[in-house]
Amino acid sequence: MLSIKDLHVSVEEKPILNGLTLDVKPGEIHAIMGPNGSGKSTLAHVLSGRAGYTVNSGSAHYKGLNLLEMAPEIRAREGLFLAFQYPIEIPGVNNTSFLKKALNEIRKHRGEEELDAIDFLGLIKKQMALVEMKEDLLRRPVNQGFSGGEKKRNEILQMAVLNPTLAILDETDSGLDIDALRIVAGGVNKLRSESNAFVVITHYQRLLDYIVPDFVHVLSNGRIIKSGTKELALELEERGYDWLLEKTETPS
Amino acid sequence: MTETVNNFQDWIKDQVHSKAESSFALSAELRKASLAVLNSARFPTRKDEEWRNTPLNELLTRTIGPASEAPVDLPLLEKLKQAIPNAQHLVFVNGVFDSKLSVDLATEIPAGLSVKQMSTLPSESLQRAEASINRSKLTDDNIFQHITRGLSNSGLFIELDQNIEIEQPLQILYLSSSNDSVSISHPLNIIHLGQNSRLKIVQQYASPAGVQAVTIPADTIQLDEGADLELYKIGLESESTDHISNTTVQIARSAVLKAHQYLLGSRLTRSNLEVIFDGPGGEAILRGIYLGDDSQHLDIRTYMDHANPQCRSDQHFRGIMNGQSRGVFNGMVLVRKHAQQTDAQQSNKNLLLSRDARVDTKPQLEIFADDVKCTHGATVGELDDDALFYLQSRGISQADAALMLTRAFSAEITEEIQLESLRDYIQNEITSRLDKIRVDHV
Ligand SMILES: Nc1ncnc2c1ncn2[C@@H]1O[C@H](COP(=O)(O)OP(=O)(O)OP(=O)(O)O)[C@@H](O)[C@H]1O
Ligand SMILES: [Mg+2]
Repeated sequence: MLSIKDLHVSVEEKPILNGLTLDVKPGEIHAIMGPNGSGKSTLAHVLSGRAGYTVNSGSAHYKGLNLLEMAPEIRAREGLFLAFQYPIEIPGVNNTSFLKKALNEIRKHRGEEELDAIDFLGLIKKQMALVEMKEDLLRRPVNQGFSGGEKKRNEILQMAVLNPTLAILDETDSGLDIDALRIVAGGVNKLRSESNAFVVITHYQRLLDYIVPDFVHVLSNGRIIKSGTKELALELEERGYDWLLEKTETPS
Repeated sequence: MTETVNNFQDWIKDQVHSKAESSFALSAELRKASLAVLNSARFPTRKDEEWRNTPLNELLTRTIGPASEAPVDLPLLEKLKQAIPNAQHLVFVNGVFDSKLSVDLATEIPAGLSVKQMSTLPSESLQRAEASINRSKLTDDNIFQHITRGLSNSGLFIELDQNIEIEQPLQILYLSSSNDSVSISHPLNIIHLGQNSRLKIVQQYASPAGVQAVTIPADTIQLDEGADLELYKIGLESESTDHISNTTVQIARSAVLKAHQYLLGSRLTRSNLEVIFDGPGGEAILRGIYLGDDSQHLDIRTYMDHANPQCRSDQHFRGIMNGQSRGVFNGMVLVRKHAQQTDAQQSNKNLLLSRDARVDTKPQLEIFADDVKCTHGATVGELDDDALFYLQSRGISQADAALMLTRAFSAEITEEIQLESLRDYIQNEITSRLDKIRVDHV
């Protein structure tokens, strides 16, 4: 589904990703962990098409398509979803009409009929219950004045409504209280199927108690320096990253 | 040296000295002063501080034709009326009140409200009307005000009795038509709200595409103690129209003005709005949007004279400029020495959609009192890249995302329009203009 090969990416001449390779198959959940500044969000942004990154070499294919050549909105319509580490506040754009527009763009792209206001409302009400989000947040501008946790729930609500094939969750668990964490994880587990996949970026092993990953990768200095299973996360929790970093040379 | 040909000015001189029989909005006595100003008139240039950012050269060299006989665009009129279908409609054609296209002033105006043509007022009513003008201190003493006062042949005197609240808005529609030459209009209205009365007025200026026109309206408004006026000005004139308006509002003790302006049309608009707090506790809430494309010039000037204590003025204007258009916001808040506990807010935000668009913003504060709360701020920026990306990352195209963000930028102002149908109408007008901008760019 997603195949990243030896990806080198820089920002303003500064190399951030230094030969990253990752393969994600349908039905899988991959967790990515790693120290602050190691390039996790950069990877998520490059995959979703944010401007400002230079791909120096390597490739990223999604469903056989050359991801790096696609406009961000086309990636989204093809089923890629990024839950932002820092969701953006958009004053004046109503949360519901934004999400309806997004869903209908995706449906149009898939050759499906657009949903009218009533059908959409039915769908969104159902998904809101899933993430236990307060209804008044729907009437507010996108993320504006939302608390940190409300913003993260809103990301998961969007994910639930847009029903992506590949979802990248960038520290969706950071800033969540334990109940919210359970709800967000519940949302992911509900959506989980044989045909879709998740890449979950996190600093905390506890999320992985709720969302059980098939693989855990450690990203350091723009490369995956170790991959393993769920047990790796437990080990990291106990020992930190130092023991891994010492064993690897940092590329110059 | 050759003298510059100044057709507009020549035309003004001709009018000042015209012996032709005609009726005027104001009395001979009041006109005399304005005609004297016009007679020795010097039109402002870019060297005059007050007009530094307003390019008048094209207007001043336009050749004004005879009064236009071209028919009114009735479908356009009908469309404009849809902004507030339930309003009392009052229609001006080329600056002259058209009683056939308007509601019947004698029979259809609700009790307590009086709407009369200026030129037919009995002398006692005219005196009452002109008392408002005499009280106006006219700080922005510009020649265009005198054109309207000296030459206007038509206008309305709108009086509302004390303690009367009128729910149904008055919609005043100003249409221009022209054949081959430039038509001019200079309607003059005087509006007086009695104590604790309430009124809503929507003024719409429009002309079909291609019409060449100059519009120089003036309104003098007096709000007595506790009165409340909701006033909307909507500019939808053709790309060959120059529009210079002057509105003066005097606010007595505890009276409230809510004034919105939406400048969406014309080649050049300069809108002067002057508010004088005549008594303590008055309130003026000013909102507005100027949305320009191509080589439009849209210019808002406000002047808040806090001449009394405990008054509140709250201004929020937003500009959206595309093409080579230019927007100007020039706002002055004057807080006089004894105007203690003044609360004056002033905000101007601008969005540039193209490289060649430009905005000059100048919020100004002059404070002579010491116990006041005043803020002012201005920004000029582009669409937020992070917000654009966020929308795109959800499947929305870049063009649609830009449209959504721009509309949202304007919606923060238009949401404050209290008349629901008018709010929808303005938001649709803005959206259709933004849609066109988008199509142009693809
Ligand atoms: N626009 C930019 N300009 C300069 N440096 C940048 C830019 N964006 C990211 N970086 C740098 O790239 C590195 C990787 O950043 P990134 O946000 O991908 O880290 P991360 O692994 O997500 O960290 P965290 O765990 O703190 O979220 C950091 O050193 C960061 O400062
Ligand atoms: Mg990050």
